[in-house]
Amino acid sequence: MNDIASPKAVAAPLRETAIPDDDFQAMRVANLARWPTGAAVDFDEAVAFHHALPPHKRLADAMRRAHDGRRCLTQPRGGFGTLAMQKALMIALDRDGLADIVPTTTDSYTRNEQFAAAGKGVEESERLGRSLLNGFPIVNYGVAAARELIGAIDKPAIMLTGTSMPKLTSEIGFAAGYTGYLGSGIAYTTSYIKELSIADGIRNYQYLDRLAAHYASHGVELHRRQPGFLTGTNIPPCIAIAIAVLDCLLAAAQGVRHYGLELAQTLHLVQDAAAIAACEALAQEYLARKGYRDVFTPVTSLHWMGAWPHDAAQAATLVSYGGTLAAIGGATSVTTKSTHEAHGIPTPEANAEGLRITRMAIYLARGIRLDGLAEYEAERTLIEREVRAIVDKVLEMGDGDVAVGTVRAFEAGVLDVPWSPNRHVKSRVMPARDARGYLRIFDAGALPLPRDVLEVHAEGLRERAAREGVACDRELAIRSVYELSEPLAMLAPDRPMPAAAAR
Amino acid sequence: MSAPRAATATPFTLVTGVIGADTHIVGNRILSMALEEAGYRVVSLGALTPAGDFIRAAVETAADAILVSSLYGQGELDCRGFRELCIEAGLDDILLYVGGNLVVGKQPWDDVERRFLDMGFDRAFAPGTRVPEALAMLGADLAARTPKAARQ
Repeated sequence: MNDIASPKAVAAPLRETAIPDDDFQAMRVANLARWPTGAAVDFDEAVAFHHALPPHKRLADAMRRAHDGRRCLTQPRGGFGTLAMQKALMIALDRDGLADIVPTTTDSYTRNEQFAAAGKGVEESERLGRSLLNGFPIVNYGVAAARELIGAIDKPAIMLTGTSMPKLTSEIGFAAGYTGYLGSGIAYTTSYIKELSIADGIRNYQYLDRLAAHYASHGVELHRRQPGFLTGTNIPPCIAIAIAVLDCLLAAAQGVRHYGLELAQTLHLVQDAAAIAACEALAQEYLARKGYRDVFTPVTSLHWMGAWPHDAAQAATLVSYGGTLAAIGGATSVTTKSTHEAHGIPTPEANAEGLRITRMAIYLARGIRLDGLAEYEAERTLIEREVRAIVDKVLEMGDGDVAVGTVRAFEAGVLDVPWSPNRHVKSRVMPARDARGYLRIFDAGALPLPRDVLEVHAEGLRERAAREGVACDRELAIRSVYELSEPLAMLAPDRPMPAAAAR
Repeated sequence: MSAPRAATATPFTLVTGVIGADTHIVGNRILSMALEEAGYRVVSLGALTPAGDFIRAAVETAADAILVSSLYGQGELDCRGFRELCIEAGLDDILLYVGGNLVVGKQPWDDVERRFLDMGFDRAFAPGTRVPEALAMLGADLAARTPKAARQ
């Protein structure tokens, strides 16, 4: 499938331990030789470039300051197929959107290391004067062009490249002056690829995390971030957080000391706030258990990742509420979407508008917290019990080694992700939304959740089925996938609906 | 996925999948489940499927139609030449559907539809099309055709 040769990995058994320095340097040489633009990566020069960046263009600094001040930064997603389009987009997001963090999303050919196809996409985009790629092909353009993007904005920049193969995009992105990179070995391997094994996905991100640690050892702290949104459809918090904790432990083992955790919103105020708090606490709990006491783990909240409504008014509500949820939940940053989400990639104007809607909502929510509210505390306790049950089992299965335990747990279905495209994931687990709007688990598959916890989930789903007069079955779970994208007249009708249409 | 309900079996075989480097599997999987429940024989190729794999599967299974999904915006690049590949493989008259978020950004649907019909797709479905609508169209289009399996 890939159009470039991947050097055959020396089949060392997968372990969580840090890649030794000599091995790592040899891996870097082989990696950078895979595409011509790799030759322009000069680590020492890149370190000097990062040292010369002003503090306000360093994402690691920005996240630490926001965390200390309990502020919520805004960051959209965004990428187009040519340098000129990408530059205009990033400037619009910085100036018109007031983005605190400016993104570069790579296109999907780049994410799959099909760089020749990405090159053709650039040519076609230039010929037609509109982007035919869904992101910026940073590997084709290389370090010098990407630095033009960094120079065009006055904010920190983050690489968003939904991929299980981050080795070239990260080398080129960091060398260009990007100070953040979203992605992780477990989360992205379960959500962005069909054939790659979990073990190989973990190996690819061990390289990236080792690279981030290598920069840190030269005085350059980078913001690594885990993408807990997984397959983006009705992911119950316990699944996202368990995988976030495991990815975090794997990164820490490579030497990373700054690791953000990004959770997609369920669009339930109490559940999202509980998840954000539980995520950071659980990451710290397991880091401490493994002996890491100095890892910074800010949480990012991500606007709804499931199906969006086409109606601009309904979509604007999700954008705005997404700012409210992030701010009240105490997230250190929020990743925003726009009213164009149902239609695909937004224009720069719509994207900037999404940022401003979110920013206003954050402003309005300042200072509001749910701590102490009984329903919030109960939900947080529930999530923590669920995550501990899963993560403890994974660690046990790996005899203490996170990488080994993760691979074995996926084989057994002890770790599972709903709707995964990856053949190595069982995808037996099936979530659904309950009567009160919580995301619950309809079918837990082989997730090792306590019986009484599962009963809480089942009860809410039975309650919904009874209220709607339908069976509590897989159909309810499938309907939950599309629920929030349905027209308002169906979700909240202003007049009685015919019985058939009400289904 | 779920066991197909006892539906009246149809004599038609369909190939489904998500084309190119696109990982969006959820809608395609729900569509494939619904097609099975409607009695079709469904060859489900899943996410990240190259154009050539659709056509190989259609040849091997004597399929009557190929249903291509694309959600990530690059469908316009991935789908170019799809009809020509079918013709080269001897699938001159196979029914071709495409649906999803087919281009980058919010563009007028009439333009997008025209682009894909010009590429040789028999029908293109706009973002947000629900399963029952696609099932109805498919039933009508196939009703006018002789099943491949019956021709061999």
